Amino acid sequence: MVNYIAIIFILFGFFFVSVAAIGVLRLPDFYTRMHASGKSETLGVMLTLIGFVIYNGFNLVSLKMMLVSAFILLGNPIGTHAISRAAFYSGLEPWRKKDN
Amino acid sequence: MENFFLTLLVGLLIVVISMLYRVIKGPTVYDRLNGLGVVGTSTILILITIGFIDERVDMFVDIAIAYALLGFISLIVLAKFLSD
Repeated sequence: MVNYIAIIFILFGFFFVSVAAIGVLRLPDFYTRMHASGKSETLGVMLTLIGFVIYNGFNLVSLKMMLVSAFILLGNPIGTHAISRAAFYSGLEPWRKKDN
Repeated sequence: MENFFLTLLVGLLIVVISMLYRVIKGPTVYDRLNGLGVVGTSTILILITIGFIDERVDMFVDIAIAYALLGFISLIVLAKFLSD
């Protein structure tokens, strides 16, 4: 029973990770690609790590996995923000719809 | 359960290999950095999945912690270097 709950969490997490990958590959601009990888990747990695913790049970290894999860929650948006700030200050123009 | 982890490992490897397209071909240098960030975050999941397949999670989770810290710090340092 616990394994099925873990499988559900891991599948949802892998869904969000693959959505982030498709967004980084397909979206038209640098800033929209940052938007895809900043939020969806964080949620997917955290859901997958929660699934791993449920599968593993309660011990020190699970505590370390929760530490990695909290670090991803803090670090991934900060890294995304730093890169897009550097791009904006170096003068990269955002994408606009073409006029007819 | 081991077959499930093997399938998950193949899916994550497909994600990482498709990110290499953005790293190689990306129009600006920031696109390449973005692709490297996604690769670094997915590699943590790959490491823990390999740990579950080998049944030695207690060793691989430490490598995952070190990889997360190094990836975050290198991302911040490269962004500060490129913004000057």
